[in-house]
Amino acid sequence: MESPDLYNFSIFRPRNHHGKKNRNVIFSMVLIWAIAVFGFQFLLRGIQKSTPEKALTMFESTWPGVLTGDLTPVNYKPFLNSLVLVKGKNIVKPEDQEVLSDAITCLTFKVIPDSVKTVLLSGISDLKSLKAKLIQDKDQEYLVTKKMIGEKNKELTDICAPYSDFKYGSLEAVIFINSLDEKYPESFNDISFTSLPEIMKLYLTHNQSILTDTKFLGFPFHYFYTAVFLLILFITLCIVYNILIEWRLKKDGIVE
Amino acid sequence: MVLLNKILTKALIMKKIYLTFIFSFLGILSLRAESLTQLEGSFKPGPAIILIATLVTFVLVGIFFRAKDPADYYAAGRKISRVGSGMAIASNWMSAASFLGMAGMMYGFGYNGLAYVVGWTGGYVLLLILMAAQIRKYGKYTAPDFIGDRYYSRDLRIVSAIFTILISFAYCVGQFGGIGLMFKWILGLNYTLAVIIGSSVVLLYTLISGMIGATKNMQIQYVIIVVSFLIPIFIMTFKFDYFWLIPQIGYGAAVTDVIQGIPAPNITNGVSLVNAFGHDFSIVPSPEFAMPWDPSTGTSFFQWVAICFSLMVGTAGLPHVIQRFYVVPKVSDARWSVVWGLFFICLVYWTAPAYSTFGKLLSSNPEVGVLAKDAIVVYTAQLGNVNSLIVGLLAAGAISAAFSTVAGLLVAGASAFSHDLYVRVINPASTPKTQLNIARIGTIIMGLAVTIVALLKLGLIAQLVSVAFSMAACTIFPLFLLGIWWSGSNRTGAKAGLFTGIFITAISITYFIVGLSGGSLPGQTFISYWLNVWYFAWIGAPLAIIVNIIVSRFTTPTPLEIKKFLAEHVHN
Repeated sequence: MESPDLYNFSIFRPRNHHGKKNRNVIFSMVLIWAIAVFGFQFLLRGIQKSTPEKALTMFESTWPGVLTGDLTPVNYKPFLNSLVLVKGKNIVKPEDQEVLSDAITCLTFKVIPDSVKTVLLSGISDLKSLKAKLIQDKDQEYLVTKKMIGEKNKELTDICAPYSDFKYGSLEAVIFINSLDEKYPESFNDISFTSLPEIMKLYLTHNQSILTDTKFLGFPFHYFYTAVFLLILFITLCIVYNILIEWRLKKDGIVE
Repeated sequence: MVLLNKILTKALIMKKIYLTFIFSFLGILSLRAESLTQLEGSFKPGPAIILIATLVTFVLVGIFFRAKDPADYYAAGRKISRVGSGMAIASNWMSAASFLGMAGMMYGFGYNGLAYVVGWTGGYVLLLILMAAQIRKYGKYTAPDFIGDRYYSRDLRIVSAIFTILISFAYCVGQFGGIGLMFKWILGLNYTLAVIIGSSVVLLYTLISGMIGATKNMQIQYVIIVVSFLIPIFIMTFKFDYFWLIPQIGYGAAVTDVIQGIPAPNITNGVSLVNAFGHDFSIVPSPEFAMPWDPSTGTSFFQWVAICFSLMVGTAGLPHVIQRFYVVPKVSDARWSVVWGLFFICLVYWTAPAYSTFGKLLSSNPEVGVLAKDAIVVYTAQLGNVNSLIVGLLAAGAISAAFSTVAGLLVAGASAFSHDLYVRVINPASTPKTQLNIARIGTIIMGLAVTIVALLKLGLIAQLVSVAFSMAACTIFPLFLLGIWWSGSNRTGAKAGLFTGIFITAISITYFIVGLSGGSLPGQTFISYWLNVWYFAWIGAPLAIIVNIIVSRFTTPTPLEIKKFLAEHVHN
């Protein structure tokens, strides 16, 4: 009678020379694979530093002055710019977008003269109506409404340009005009703005390191490594494994 | 000789069909491309014709290569070549989650979306090294077949068959969602009707063809997937002045542009670069798109690692993927088909991040509005002002991707139902004809059930699909891994390990459903983060393996004949 132990098999304890070589290949491959994938991410995590964007520095240096009502072009323009730069990120959550829009509108109506306020309010209202119309329009009507929106955007941008410094045609001008609303909190001491510093910090702070700041073939290095190189490595590992296994089978005279 | 004649006749017929389609396509190209005014909402005739032509091709291929007996239905008669099998693996693998969902995840969650790219490719290394050849050597048709035989247990066969169906089911839900989105975009239908039409068509041809038809279809689908996915990105890298010869590298500069921002107006070589709406090709600095686990994306380092690990391990445990290795003629073919499959997959996976990058750049203007993440691939091509017919081809490619995967999943699910439950458990004396009919009934039931769940829109495509991966990683993967590589893993250990995996799965899914319905269970926040339904396998799979090992050590050893078979047949 055969002993059951004769056929005991485990990847850690192969039964013969071929098995041992096979195991070594497998372990080497898995090790390279694990270090390449997870080792790199752990390294990325280990050396990362919380790095603010320039816009956050602008915001933090001007926010106290804005809160106290000290609105001079020296502080409100960088402040407005920082708000617009965050509002322009399309990752911003809807509730945070609302706070940012309120802040942009509140600041704008604080710095423009009273004579311009009425014109601006009516322009914002017209723009809103046109946008609502655009959703319903089809074909030719759609194109006409779109053109009217463009003209209205230009008109509003030109009205605000002396106070905002945003020129027509710039992305900032589009974001700025699209943020303006007819209703807005009167003061930056309003309760709705208490979350503003946290919102700015959330969207303007990033995990950066030498691996993210170094460029390779146009990519940030870490992005290239993960999105391109790892896939090349996986294919290479598979090819090398197949070649090694088939070479080993041939050498040991094993026919599968 | 007779076989050769048959093949030649079929090839001639197929050639005629393709020529007809090519001329039809050229006819379509001569039509005036409709001017793009809106991203969706209206019926798009050009893309609709491309879609219909594609679907007709699938059904015709299904008819010409239909299954004649159970061996054909389950394992394509083991007649598929290495490259052909690689293409089928790639096509079967690249679902709506790869085609649409991955770019959507990167668009919405930045660097964390890359966990899906790495997870869904890195798993193939594990699959090759630990599974492919050994599964082929074991010589079974389905995953439950292997499990039932290796662990000499009828109960385990039944439970693994049920889980094979559940995994295929969860995977299909995301696919049907993707099909619905694309039908909605092309036909201007509502989501519900779009899902119903799409699911009817995919059911029809899976029923007619079985896996042999599906395998041929998968090869054609792969070509459609790759061509439709690559053409728009070549056009966009060229149009927006990036290195277009290898767009998979050329978009790197676009990633840097997203991080640093592009001021408007953007004029290159005297030409103003604009999107389809006439907005400048510009963006405010957006480092959150590429920086690792950025706080603004609401994701963490742990989640990146957990998602990546779960997807990798799940890849090596998915029944419909494992099943592909039964269709190759030789063991070495099983190994090389993984390499080919992975290469074909990577062609698309290298490209997907480029779509999300261009999507970011082209949708930066607030006037574009909020875009559905799962349709960002198609929106990006539209916003990039790519010809509407090519965008239509892209949408047809997305549907091909979903169809090819659904076909494989339905066959895997139906196989588990008829072969592993009906034939092995309920009616072992059934005739081949009855078996085939039962497989078809199983396919219909599953297709209908998936359609109903897909209509609920439970999450993003990639997230829905990742549930299937975590389920496979917690249940099927440990049984295969230990079953192949440790003869000491016995029936009791396997049962204990499997139920550990099922327990973790049940906890995660229960908390997810309760959370989704607005309720709360004890430790809701804790479980929702650490045992999240998208990545619970990070702990579930290792636990299932550990429990299997411990219980096996202290219970009746594996029978001699199983050990002997493993040693002599599986491990040379």
